[in-house]
Amino acid sequence: MIKVRIPTPLRPLTKGQGEVEVTAGTIVDMIETLDTAHPGIKARLCDESGELRRFVNIYVNEEDIRFLKGKDTSLKAGDEVSIVPAIAGGR
Amino acid sequence: MNDLVAHARQLDPYECCGFLAGTDKTVTRLYRIKNVVSLDGASEAASFDEAKMNHLSQLSPEERAEIAFIMDAQEMFQAVKDMRKHGLTLQVVYHSHPHDPARPSVTDIKIANEWEENWSRLNLSLPIYMLISLMDKARPDVRAYWIKNASVSSADVVTL
Repeated sequence: MIKVRIPTPLRPLTKGQGEVEVTAGTIVDMIETLDTAHPGIKARLCDESGELRRFVNIYVNEEDIRFLKGKDTSLKAGDEVSIVPAIAGGR
Repeated sequence: MNDLVAHARQLDPYECCGFLAGTDKTVTRLYRIKNVVSLDGASEAASFDEAKMNHLSQLSPEERAEIAFIMDAQEMFQAVKDMRKHGLTLQVVYHSHPHDPARPSVTDIKIANEWEENWSRLNLSLPIYMLISLMDKARPDVRAYWIKNASVSSADVVTL
């Protein structure tokens, strides 16, 4: 199983859970699996063409997937994935 | 410091944002990061509170950038990549307040607080937060803060 940390803005989709567990071979798989269990989550993470949105960061074991193979980054049992909203703020 | 003010002025009346990086608490490089708050779905993805969301929802996408920023994650990644290449580490996260004082807002503190655990998870040390106020256009005000455990304290910054 892979542990996925869900950020606050997405928790309404996971019934408030901050962590969920999924079985997935890649980030793409993980997003599809999450979306089946928690419909709507994929649209929040990816645009219409399936690319990761520009205000979403995904880390696998502390590393930004953009340093790895992006959404094709492979996952193995025991990996920890963090979905993190971009740094934000304002007046 | 001049570069920070130049960035803020260039984007005025919109908020600018970026990173300062260096080694051993000395800043040597500035990374301008695009503010993507006006992108479709961006504000829903950030950790804004309900009041901020209500405020943003009444504004046009462009106007949103006058009162909020969301860093472009792609450019943030490019910046971190460049830091690694040059052996630099993130020291400062900055943004501007075009119409307001150079102190962290409730939103700034909330999101800094949420990011506090991310920095350590990502093996990065807690950055200083710098704010550039353009309330007085003739005299921009730049201030630095630590935001730890949801409490804000002034950070000492020396300009060489």
